[in-house]
Amino acid sequence: MTTYVIRRLLDLAFVLFGVSVLIFMMLRLIPGDAVAIMLGANIDITPERIEALRRQLGLHLPLHQQYAQWLGGVLQGDFGRSVWTGRPVADEIVGRLPVTLQLSFMALAFAIVVSFPLGMLAAGARGGRADAVVRLASIVGLTLPSFWVGVLLLYVTSMYLPAWPTIGYVPFVEDPVGNLARMALPTFAVALPMIAALTRILRSSLLDVLSLDYIRTGKAKGLATRTLFYKHALRNAMIPVITVIGVQVGYLLSGVVVIEQVFAIPGLGRLVIGAINERNYPLAQGVILVATVVFVFVNLVVDLAYAWIDPRVEYT
Amino acid sequence: MASMARRLFHNRIGFAGFVLCVVVLVAALFAPLLATHGPREQSIRDRFQGPSAQHVLGTDNFGRDVYSRILYGFRTSIAVAFGAVGIAALLGSAAGLAAAYFGGWTDRLLMRSMDVLLAFPIILLAIAVLAVLGPGSVNTALAIGIVYLPIFARLARGPALTVLSWDYVAAARALGAGGLRVVMRHVLPNVMAPLLVQLTLSLSTAILVEASLSFLGLGTQPPTPSLGLMLSESRDYMLISGWTSFFSGFAILIASLGFNLFGDGLRDIVDPALRGVDG
Amino acid sequence: MKRFALLVVACVGLAFAQTGTLELAVDSSPAGLDPHKVTAFSSFAVISQVYDGLLEINADLQLEGALAESYTISDDGLVYTFTLRDDVVFHNGRAFGAEDVVYSLERILDPETGSPQASRFNQVANAEAVDARTVVFTLTEPFAPFLSNMPNLYVVPREVVEEHGDLQQVAVGTGPFALAEVVPDTFLRLEANADYYRPGEPGVATLRYNVVPEASTRAAGLRTGTYHLIPDVDPTTALTLGSAPNVTLLEVPGLAYTLVGMNVTREPFDDPRVRRAINLALDREELVDGVFLGNAVPAGPLSEALTDWAVPTETFPCYAHDPAAARELLAEAGYPDGFEFTILTFGTRRDVADTAQVVQAQLERAGLNVTVNVAEFGTFVQDWSNSNFDAFVSLNGGNIDPDGYMHRTFITGGSTNVFQYSDPTVDALLERGRTTADVAERQSIYTELQSALACEGPIAHLNYGTLFSAHRAEVQGFEQIATGNLRYLRSVTLR
Repeated sequence: MTTYVIRRLLDLAFVLFGVSVLIFMMLRLIPGDAVAIMLGANIDITPERIEALRRQLGLHLPLHQQYAQWLGGVLQGDFGRSVWTGRPVADEIVGRLPVTLQLSFMALAFAIVVSFPLGMLAAGARGGRADAVVRLASIVGLTLPSFWVGVLLLYVTSMYLPAWPTIGYVPFVEDPVGNLARMALPTFAVALPMIAALTRILRSSLLDVLSLDYIRTGKAKGLATRTLFYKHALRNAMIPVITVIGVQVGYLLSGVVVIEQVFAIPGLGRLVIGAINERNYPLAQGVILVATVVFVFVNLVVDLAYAWIDPRVEYT
Repeated sequence: MASMARRLFHNRIGFAGFVLCVVVLVAALFAPLLATHGPREQSIRDRFQGPSAQHVLGTDNFGRDVYSRILYGFRTSIAVAFGAVGIAALLGSAAGLAAAYFGGWTDRLLMRSMDVLLAFPIILLAIAVLAVLGPGSVNTALAIGIVYLPIFARLARGPALTVLSWDYVAAARALGAGGLRVVMRHVLPNVMAPLLVQLTLSLSTAILVEASLSFLGLGTQPPTPSLGLMLSESRDYMLISGWTSFFSGFAILIASLGFNLFGDGLRDIVDPALRGVDG
Repeated sequence: MKRFALLVVACVGLAFAQTGTLELAVDSSPAGLDPHKVTAFSSFAVISQVYDGLLEINADLQLEGALAESYTISDDGLVYTFTLRDDVVFHNGRAFGAEDVVYSLERILDPETGSPQASRFNQVANAEAVDARTVVFTLTEPFAPFLSNMPNLYVVPREVVEEHGDLQQVAVGTGPFALAEVVPDTFLRLEANADYYRPGEPGVATLRYNVVPEASTRAAGLRTGTYHLIPDVDPTTALTLGSAPNVTLLEVPGLAYTLVGMNVTREPFDDPRVRRAINLALDREELVDGVFLGNAVPAGPLSEALTDWAVPTETFPCYAHDPAAARELLAEAGYPDGFEFTILTFGTRRDVADTAQVVQAQLERAGLNVTVNVAEFGTFVQDWSNSNFDAFVSLNGGNIDPDGYMHRTFITGGSTNVFQYSDPTVDALLERGRTTADVAERQSIYTELQSALACEGPIAHLNYGTLFSAHRAEVQGFEQIATGNLRYLRSVTLR
């Protein structure tokens, strides 16, 4: 197991290096740089002045030098400074990360809490009406774009529950009730496709496990159906579910980026979209790198959990 | 193949999906014949109408016929989805097969590159690619294709490795069968099933990713109709006239549902053991 | 010598306590706050609360005193003498004086600053602080629109610039509110300036600009009372907010206009007949309906809101929508079967993107083959400033003096003349327009210019949209200005 973890970590180092190169190159390929965007419609400015601005931001250096400078800084924990606010990129990210993490984890938790009973209900009532309803609902849930669900929820609550604060963000430590009130709708909108996916997968893997020999043997031996269901079947059905959770985290983030836009939530998604539009290279690079690192680590944890739960996985 | 079709026919869900897919494809292919109006034809005096004999599904903010736009919207959305998944499936599985066949450094290099792509949260990668290429439906297809590449590469490589280790394939190689021949004859048929399932399911998610990108202003650009763009544009006048929003949402549901169910059905048929690999 | 006294606010020593937080919902976060460097509307929405100019524009689009109490203009139109208020202090506690005005002007004119405002003040040969309350500008030539540029002469304190390098992230002015906190893409918080020189203002203790990118979210927030005021509401949202309970919708004809710009160095737009044909093919009334839901007027080169200057659009012969005449003209110009071209535009503003779509449909009906290229905004600006387009659809902000807009846009080599338009008659008129002091004579010059440019100029002016704002019933004392300036936020009180 230890060698497996070490190998995975080494792979990770390589992947992250590739990620850093790719982010850096892609952002430079976007037409127009920060200086051009900053000047906007101001064309009274002299070319010398533009050159000076580029120099200030280090944009006059050859690309590989710019990259080396950036990577060197990142390895020492210095992500550079945001072009627009002049604040360290690390501070900007630290300000936003908790918001996005809170939304992601709440959505993830909500999805797990809701999908387990639903999945078990469907599997238990296989072929019945409850099963059909759950299956159909889960497919519909998967196919509704989250921005649309978000806007719809927003309209409906603003019409019928105008007292409910649904927009924006307040930190949990400042106002726990206000925070949760504002997070409720976005959480639901982000969680919806995940609930659908998890319910489906839980249902089918429960059915698979229930049809296995040892469960049948257990049944024949007279073990209570309930014990069987919860103790044996559910535990074994968990394995594919965990894999899917890993995959779904990627989709979850897509939902978060879009929903942050709809509910005016100041998270990483809005930060990165703004940074790309402004060609704020250090900020965009920093945010994408951090988001990627978090994502990669979540997947690593999922893989390790998988290996730990299912002893059949070989660590080679 | 014939028996597969027969089994599909008996798989209720898969068959329902198949029917929906056919409906969507027919709508997309024959849009010019089925449409009652031009997709860009404006009649501003007739805007925000509900369904009527003249406009079966009502009109949008420019008085364009929503029914005709949805037909053409299927065209764009399906083209983007097929383009994206086609790129990903072709290049991705080629990379996966090459990695499995050559092994060694080729394998490591290819698969680590795929890992790099896979490491990005998909939406961020798509946003970055579109920022580079500029918005539009062709570029959206490319961006989603790049995002999906590693999924297919990984999916092709695993089973290919297994097949290549089988005795008779090893024997064929030892007897001097060319690489391409071995891969085409022995490996590809054996990895086809999971690829096909993934392909169908990816089509369904690609339609949704296109919608999200259009919402962010990066996907299909007006006046070209795509289902995602129509849904996204209609959100601003949902309270004035909810029809466009409802019908374009419903169209997305049908397309996505079709590919999803079809994929599900295929999965049940070709390999029950695959059940559980989602996304 | 002419002397002008400006409205001086009577100082009643009333103790006044500001209370409450006014929550605004705006669509984007200002990218920088340096009043001498930025061009974005989102920046000026904040800057106009923090800084003052010598004069300001009121709701009737007339100039009014701000930091200046009165002024005199010499008979030759070359010397402007401003008398400043003596009760103004900067947010950092230092008293404001004539030296600050001179410094701010010099900073704008310094090439090192790269200020987009510089061309407004090029005629200033010398600026001098005669005493603490008197500043004198001497011009190189008579320059009629000089006063109308005074609101743009935002006065900044030298010591703050020197300490911070520039004013993009810090803001210390003399205005009714002082910058307290900036969280990019989230909110800006401004606090009332207790030493503000107008008694009784500002009316609220705190001003919060919440950055909310989605129009539907801003509207939902206003309905629920999360926000008190949306300064800029699009026509579709306005329609739905008009009937919402406890919400007041305000409207005023705007100075900003939508336009089709044509690159006159590219065929076939180099032919004035083609430009006239485009004008004939466009249906401005339909655009009013389709894009603005009826809340706009057809646009001539100047807004009808500029009642002293604008020529009614009915007098332009090419404004009568006539596709048949357009085809004829095109045939005459050698394009009997029309031609193909691309319209460059951007998608971040709904009115612009919608205009491009309707324009495309209209021109196609006249037999042209039009492709719309919706570029990302940064790319659009680059192509626009490099004249890299056949034609574009965009939105321009207006100006209260005709020179402020027309000179830089139409004169040969002008800074926003991205069309590369060059016409000696127009050039001569533009120069005469800015150096003539007599108002009646200026009016006739601009009438002539408008007629010359309306049909065969490089711009097909489309619509002046109505500017909508919406606020909650508890907001009192807010007034809209056609320029979109938010100066009346200072008189808002919360009930």
